[in-house]
Amino acid sequence: MNIPNINFIHAYRIAPWRVQRQWIGNALLAVVVLALVAGLYLNVTSRTAIAGREIQDLMNAIAISQQASSDLQTQLASLTSVSAMEQRALQLGFRPVQPEELQYLIVPGYVAPEPINFSSNALPQLSALTIPPEYNQSLLDWLDERIASRRIQ
Amino acid sequence: MRQQYARRMQVLASAMMLIALAIIVQLTRIQNSPEAAVFRKQAENYAYEWKTFYPNRGEIYDRNGRLLAGQKTVYEIGVDLKTVTDPHAIAFAVSRELGLNYDNLMNVIQNPPEGISYLVLADYVEAQQALNLQELKRALQEQAAEGALGGLTGLQFKAHPQRSYPENALASNILGFVNREGKGYFGIEENYDNLLAGNPVSVLIPTDPNKAYEIPRVPDGTTMILTINRDLQAAAEEILDNALTQYGAQDGVIAIMNPQNGEILAIAVSRRMDLNNFWNYDSIYDNATEFNPAISKTYEPGSVLKILTMAAALDTNTVTPNTTYLDTGSILIGGVTIQNWDRNPWGVQNMIGCLQHSLNVCMVNLATQMGANNFYAYMDAFGLGHLTGIDLAGEATGRLKMPGDADWYPVDLGTNSFGQGVAVTPIQMMAAASAVANDGRMVTPHVLYAMVRDGRQYNVPAQFAGSPISSQTANTLTEMLALSLEAESSLALVPGYRVAGKTGTAEIPVNGFYDISQTNASFIGWGPVDDPQFMIYVWLERPTASPWGSETAAPVFSEMAQKTVILLDIPPDFIRQQIASQ
Repeated sequence: MNIPNINFIHAYRIAPWRVQRQWIGNALLAVVVLALVAGLYLNVTSRTAIAGREIQDLMNAIAISQQASSDLQTQLASLTSVSAMEQRALQLGFRPVQPEELQYLIVPGYVAPEPINFSSNALPQLSALTIPPEYNQSLLDWLDERIASRRIQ
Repeated sequence: MRQQYARRMQVLASAMMLIALAIIVQLTRIQNSPEAAVFRKQAENYAYEWKTFYPNRGEIYDRNGRLLAGQKTVYEIGVDLKTVTDPHAIAFAVSRELGLNYDNLMNVIQNPPEGISYLVLADYVEAQQALNLQELKRALQEQAAEGALGGLTGLQFKAHPQRSYPENALASNILGFVNREGKGYFGIEENYDNLLAGNPVSVLIPTDPNKAYEIPRVPDGTTMILTINRDLQAAAEEILDNALTQYGAQDGVIAIMNPQNGEILAIAVSRRMDLNNFWNYDSIYDNATEFNPAISKTYEPGSVLKILTMAAALDTNTVTPNTTYLDTGSILIGGVTIQNWDRNPWGVQNMIGCLQHSLNVCMVNLATQMGANNFYAYMDAFGLGHLTGIDLAGEATGRLKMPGDADWYPVDLGTNSFGQGVAVTPIQMMAAASAVANDGRMVTPHVLYAMVRDGRQYNVPAQFAGSPISSQTANTLTEMLALSLEAESSLALVPGYRVAGKTGTAEIPVNGFYDISQTNASFIGWGPVDDPQFMIYVWLERPTASPWGSETAAPVFSEMAQKTVILLDIPPDFIRQQIASQ
């Protein structure tokens, strides 16, 4: 009873169409794996590119804001310049004080104002070398680097 | 049939595999061919480009944080020649807004230089004008038929910063200016050009837009805080302008310094320039020394130099304040007769009278008694003939002839003692006199109060240039000068404040001879005497109302000092004494 079964299984295993199917299956698996790797690669590189663009946009926005800040600061300085303030004061009915009109009072604890101090917390220093290669290196770049390092070794 | 079909399929598959293999072989061959290496190298050349990021120029503030020099955005306006649709519209709009010639614009747009695709029509255009053009461009685009391009298509705007001086001409002689290439000229802008400009950073940028790169952080240029008091500077300029009119002077200088630490509080000069229109330089100044004569223009100071001669005489114990001499009105030295300013004898005088009446004969006596070696050693120690080291570009050294110089004659000892035959700048005289006002210690005048970089402020400490005289000599001489002013009821006196000072009237040499009708009138003084907080130097060039410093420069000093004590919050002497006694 067992011999015919064994023959059938053996015949099934060596059937040409089955071997073909195995080949096709393996080929399809390889294609699927490649497609997955390619998709992953595409996804990572596109995200990297988008992040890069966003950084550029933000840097540009910072530069534009700084420029606008400088503009406004200069405008404010123009509006409060000596000549502008003097003109405004005269229009409001003020006039320069005469020495004999001044009265000095002794105020206990009064401290004369010191010149301006612009000290503030230092900004973090960034440099072009702070981004590690993992964040801006493509898969091909990485492979290239590996091969090159192997060659050197 | 089935076998035939299978065979055909095998042949076809083999053929396709052969073709595929051939393609792969060819690809590999091309990739590794010598030509490929050349192409790869060429590609690498275009894969990255060097890009330079320029920092914003540092700002300049006065000591109270008022902006004196900053940045504003201006625009470069140009046309992208490939996308221009209506050159007439562009030429018309730009000529109308910017006041440029329409025909010239049309000509350059229609006949651009060969090989260019972008043409600059105007640069350094004010933001408002650029905005007007941008709005017009947008409006024309909106009015255009759907899918069509607006009339100003191709007109482009590029923003960039430009130096701006919100106070216009105020303190122009101290600040200097920056040209359109970003280079500083004169004053602070030239002296600290490297620090203000900052360091440009060059980085390799990938040309592939999908490759991420980091824009380097380019620190702005160093921000400068000056010792200048903006309000005092404005007051000094106003007082100087009024004095020039009142006394008919050709030019003038008022400089104010703290004699205890050398901080320059104001330097007013008569010729000033709106720094936002620096291209007018040539029409305002004949030569570079006129930009800031307080540091660049040398002249014979006349009697203000008698302070230094008297200081030397006191310090060498040649005389004391009570030493007397008989003034006969003239004295012979080196074969030349020297006379007093009024050519009259003043009889018996002590040293206070000598200063009070500004007697030339007295000074020649002192110099002769001290001897040339002593006299010139002191003048050298006071810094005459040397740079003071003030941190402004263009300082002149002046000239002090010394025994042994080819052009020095024995008579020079006499004339130099009362300020003739010696060339100084106002700032040199102030530095020298600071030794008298500051217990014998001479200060180095400076304009920079502090530098700000990366959020940190570095204050510049006061520097001293030696002690040419003793503290005792300095205090004695200050008292003598104060007494002499009070004794002659000088127009330089300041109500409520005790001041010390000296007038100067120096005839101007014309064609080798001194011209009595043309003088340099000057006054140097400081106060309050017990705690000097300001030193003021007034120089009026060729006053026509009166040639005398006592009648022109002295009252200007008084007016300036009265304004100074108000703006610096210096209470009158009796108030300060009350505070001190508490």
